[in-house]
Parts: sequence; structure tokens; C-alpha cells
Amino acid sequence: MNNLCTDIGYRSLTKFGELLCGDHVDIVEQGDNSMVIVLADGLGSGVKANILSTLTSKIISTMMAQSMSIEECVSTIASTLPVCSVRQVAYSTFTILRIVNGEEAELIQYDNPYAILLRNGRHFDYPMTMLTIDGKQIFQSRFPIYEGDIFYLLSDGNIHAGVGRALNLGWQRDTIIDYVEACFDTEYSAKTLTTILLDECNRLYGGKPGDDTTVCTIKVRKREAMNLIIGPPANRDDCNKMMALFFNKEGKHIVCGGTTSSIAADYLKEPLIPELTFIDPDIPPTAKLKGVDLVTEGVITINKVLKNAQDYLLDNESYQHWGYKNDGASIITRLLFEEATDINFFVGKAVNPAHQNPDLPISFNIKMRLVDELAECLKQMGKRIKVSYF
Amino acid sequence: MKITVCIGSSCHLKGSRQIVEELQRLIADHDVKDKVELSGTFCMNNCTNGVCVTVDQASYSLTPETTESFFATEILPAL
Repeated sequence: MNNLCTDIGYRSLTKFGELLCGDHVDIVEQGDNSMVIVLADGLGSGVKANILSTLTSKIISTMMAQSMSIEECVSTIASTLPVCSVRQVAYSTFTILRIVNGEEAELIQYDNPYAILLRNGRHFDYPMTMLTIDGKQIFQSRFPIYEGDIFYLLSDGNIHAGVGRALNLGWQRDTIIDYVEACFDTEYSAKTLTTILLDECNRLYGGKPGDDTTVCTIKVRKREAMNLIIGPPANRDDCNKMMALFFNKEGKHIVCGGTTSSIAADYLKEPLIPELTFIDPDIPPTAKLKGVDLVTEGVITINKVLKNAQDYLLDNESYQHWGYKNDGASIITRLLFEEATDINFFVGKAVNPAHQNPDLPISFNIKMRLVDELAECLKQMGKRIKVSYF
Repeated sequence: MKITVCIGSSCHLKGSRQIVEELQRLIADHDVKDKVELSGTFCMNNCTNGVCVTVDQASYSLTPETTESFFATEILPAL
């Protein structure tokens, strides 16, 4: 057991003209530091492929998580999958990545492009042994993992990208490796790395993917705690208690809200110095306070972070804004989505009388809802969230 | 002289950014940068009268439209 964990982000492009994607990713966690990730690509496209890949990934991930052998999984799939009436076979390719105790990786691959592993930003060629199960050639690998390892699980839509369009032979795995090496940045989250690779595939396809294309990125990283406080406590006598609990927490500290930051400044006995630069016209400026990693305005900023979070879980389009900008909302977004794995929210329930003006879109209920929704989105990103109310 | 503009949530929504930018422009136009210090503050607890602006100890309520006349009547003569 160590303090390594995984950051997982995946996304698919659906074959042009189809409504359903024929690739499927399934993740089953086993306790704190172990999990099984399966990427399955069903034969054909559309509904049929979708059913095949969903069944395959669900069966494998569930069985593997129960510690059943790969032989049992494969024979179960072979006897369970419906047989395609056109091709007379039941078929779905798959890539399985099992992380054991945050220490070891086991890869089991069948007919998908071989998973790519970057170690320290460079391509790492892991050893593989071939097993033959029910006449199928399956490649198995087992090796220790280290902080910073990045796995790319791919469906064949990636290596077919650009066939007959931008590239005669499609995007070869070696060239994909060059590309992901060039895009490597330790700061990027798994979802961001996925987006970067998938966007390039989409570009090579000319925006009309000729095949379902899926990237699932798994980044091995250290746990990182982050603490965010928003709003003064309902009872003003609790200020010191709330601040003491907040500042005692390990990890970075983010203070949101004007009144809240004044209370934090009093507690720390340091001056609060607001900046006057409006980097984004919609987001109020940040402030400096010694002992705090970031001070921002409250509801408007958090509302923007929530918008980014909702988008992140869909197509991550807004990444091109928050990925580099230095307004309060973009910085919080990077800290929470990319840097943090464990986030503690300290939410004060005081009602700001000034915000109860019906002309302003920032009532108390909205503030509470914002935090709840943001916490929910972050959970979906695979982060551990704790929310405490004061 | 120190002009402080509230940039809290409520004042932000009422236009404190435009006021800050307008004041920055006026200070530059009148070339009084060495006499006037422009700064921001979070909530001044007077949100209903926002946008809140203080000049040294005195407080004012501005809107983006009244900023220019405020500068002409309150700031320039006092310099």
C-alpha cells in the first residue's frame, strides 16, 4: 500500500452517422487502491456494437473485480455474446488494465491496438506474454507502476484515423506515440490528455470519424489534498473554529468570498490585498493573502467553476479557456480538476443580506446548490469529496 | 489620495469592473497617476448602495454612467 492513486479520463468519438458508440469503457473499483478498467470495442458499429461492447466490458470488469481468472472471463464472454447474424461470430475486442494496490499493473489485451505507456514522459515498452484461450491470442503483461506513469488504452478507431484522407495508412501506433510524447505535460489531467489525443483523431478524420474511436487515459499519481472554504458560518461565533479546522488541513487552501476572505485575514492576522486586474470581464479579481494559496470572490466565481465542471464531464470544450487563463475561476478549476484528488469543502451557511435582493442572481439557495452540484461533479471525476457545513 | 472600489459579488454585478476601467482611463488621461492610488476591496457591507467607492474616508455610490462626473467633481478639484 502506498499513496499512489489513479486519475482516469475517457471519451469516445462516435462513427459519423451513428447515434450510438460501439466502444465502451467500464471501471470497477476494488477498495482504495485497486481497480479494473476495461475498454471494449464491439464488432461493427451502432446498436449491435454498442450491445457487444457494453456486455463485454461489464462481464469482464465484474468478473475480474471478483478475482476470477482471465480464462474464465474469456470463455464466459465467448459463450454469452450474441452471434452476429451477418458475420456469424460473436466478437468484441478488449483491453483490460488492472491496478493492484497502487503498486502493480496487469494488462490483458485482445485485438485492440496495444496500450501505450509513457514513463517520465517517454514511451515505455512493457514485456508481453501470449496466452491462447479458446483459440484467441491474448497478450498479458504484469509490471510495477510508478508515479507519473500514463496509460493510453485505445480502440482501433485511433489507428484508423485519417485513412484515405489525411493519411494513407491511418495513424500508425508509432506516430501516435510520437504525438503523445510531444503533448506530454505533468500538469495535465487524464481527461485533458484524452481530449488532446481524441481531438487530433477527429481532426485527421476531418470531423467525420470513420470508426468509433475511444481513448481512456489512466494517470498514476500521488494523492493531493485541496481545501476550499466558502461563506461565513451561520453563527458568527463559529468563525475561529471554522478557520482553525480549515487551516489545520493538509494541502492547499482556497478561500472564496469577500466576507469569508476578510474573516480568514483576521484569523491569520495578515492584510488582504485585492488585485484590480480583470483578466476575464465576467469574473471578479482575485486577492492576495499570506498563508492562503488563492483568494477569490464567491458565488460568481464558483458558478463559473461549476459550468466548467459540467462541461468537463461532457466534451471538455471549455478546457481551452480554463487551461491557461489566470482569472479566479480558471485557477480554481485547474486546482480542483487537475491537481487535487481529495477535496474538503468548508461551507458557511450564513445568509448574506445583500444577496437577497431579487435583482441579483445570487441568493442563498443558489450558493448552497452550487456547492452541492460542484461536489457531485467532482465525485464523478473520481475525486474523494468531503463537505462540512458550519 | 486613495480611491477604493468594491469588487465584491454584488458590486461586480452592478458594474464595478467598468468603473475600475473608467477610473484607470481617467487617471491616465489626466496624468494624475502619481497623485491618485486606485485599489480594490472585497465587500464593504453596504451592498444595497453599490457600487461602493471610498475616497480616503468618504464613501460614495457610483454607477458606470456617473463615474466620469464623479471624477470631475470629487477627484480633480481635490488634487
